[in-house]
Amino acid sequence: MLVELKELWKFRELLISMVQRDLKIRYKNSFLGFFWSLLNPLITVLVMTVVFKNFLGNDTKNLSAYILAAYLPYMFFQLCLMDSSQTILTNITIIRKIYFPREILPLASVISNFIHFLLALLVFFLFLLGVYISDRTLSPFQWTTLALPLLLLINLMLATGLSLFISALNTFYEDVKYIVSVSLYLLFFLCPIMYFSEGVYAKSMQHGGLLLYRLYHLNPVAMLCTAYRKVLVAPQPVSDHGSIYAPLTLDWVLLGVAGVISFLVLVGGYATFNRLKWKFVERP
Amino acid sequence: MNAIEIRSLCKEFTLSSSGAASFKTMLLWWKRRHVERLEVLKSLDLDVAKGECVAVIGRNGAGKSTLLSLLARVYKPTSGSVQINGRLAPLLELGAGFHPDLSGRENVFFNGIILGLTRKEMRLRLDRIVEFAELERHIDAPVRTFSSGMLARLGFSVAVHVDAEVLLVDEVLAVGDFEFERKCYAKIDEFRQAGGTILFVSHQMDAVRRVADRCVWLQNGEIREIGAPDQVIVHYEQGDAAHGVEPSAHE
Repeated sequence: MLVELKELWKFRELLISMVQRDLKIRYKNSFLGFFWSLLNPLITVLVMTVVFKNFLGNDTKNLSAYILAAYLPYMFFQLCLMDSSQTILTNITIIRKIYFPREILPLASVISNFIHFLLALLVFFLFLLGVYISDRTLSPFQWTTLALPLLLLINLMLATGLSLFISALNTFYEDVKYIVSVSLYLLFFLCPIMYFSEGVYAKSMQHGGLLLYRLYHLNPVAMLCTAYRKVLVAPQPVSDHGSIYAPLTLDWVLLGVAGVISFLVLVGGYATFNRLKWKFVERP
Repeated sequence: MNAIEIRSLCKEFTLSSSGAASFKTMLLWWKRRHVERLEVLKSLDLDVAKGECVAVIGRNGAGKSTLLSLLARVYKPTSGSVQINGRLAPLLELGAGFHPDLSGRENVFFNGIILGLTRKEMRLRLDRIVEFAELERHIDAPVRTFSSGMLARLGFSVAVHVDAEVLLVDEVLAVGDFEFERKCYAKIDEFRQAGGTILFVSHQMDAVRRVADRCVWLQNGEIREIGAPDQVIVHYEQGDAAHGVEPSAHE
């Protein structure tokens, strides 16, 4: 694996230009360009907020911020996996002609999605600032905000590892793409996006302890969604199914577990990719 | 030191009857048909000295393109080794890797970087590349609007301007009009005078006679003959006529 990493470093210029090219192509023929990638989460969150507040009677303060804080990283994760599943197949003509480390293709796709995610987070901070101006108790920064880079790192490792894995497998079995999209749909409900992990905690305690809560957070994406909320949104009592819960603090041990899992996924994904990458051109 | 060193190079491919692989074929492993293997190159040895120009001839399916792809490191050898000393630029099928929606300029830039240049180096020679391809007027339009001749000119121009020491050419000099072809040959001569090494595959015996120092006749994945182009070409054409239809590896 070290040999491969060295080779990748030699081709870093290509990786950079590939990312630039990716960003250019994505919005080449559209008028609103980058704003499309913001419009999608904004509209989704707007709809969710209206539905929750009015139809489901959820009166959590700052609800839109809570939803966005979990939905943006989920969306980044989703886009990474969906895009990367196609990267090898759409570039198969170049792969057949010229040598370069093949992992550059999924990596470039992950990085360009990551850049979009960072820009979206920037816009999110502006939104928080707006919230703060209207209500001075909702500060856009907490001391936990300092942990944001750590969350981004874990998130990036997880997304990269799975993208490498999926892009390699989808090259041989195009069924993978469909499995991924169904799994992502299910994953959405298994992550605290439309509800709160505080609610999961309360349910877990009803069923005799922390076990359920911990199992739930073994899913690194769920853990990341919970953590992003703790890190990005001022702690508030949250409401779920009519009950009010006090905000929990960030569980560092569970986050550490998610970090370890993500790192293993990255190593495993890269190893799988390297084992299969020479066969891409000879795909039967 | 030789520019290209090939040692007992073998390449096998797996033949598949069902076309695209799917989970079904993976899951139904007990129904999997006996895997057929196709030996395209059988223990090839070849040295190409620095500054030499070697042509590879042979019938379709003899393994010429596979050999070039192995040299370009697109395939991994089944066994044996390939060693290239110096920067390599493959000229396999011009314009591969161009993205239709990007402008000619952006594509040239990207293509140069795939061939191993840095962004800074590429910025310096962008104008020269465009000038050589004679596409100053069109270079900022998306390449989907380019004709195939324009694409070929642009691709050739990039490949000869990246300061490669070894050039792999796969039957591409026949593209472009007469005038551009002359220009390509001039550029290739210039490249060789500067000490560059060329390995090229061609079906055009005139081109082989004109450029090559040495000629390799490949038959069914093995070297049938190596020697002076005139001599090998004569044997090749005679051999062909004598055999009538030679059994090729694919059939």
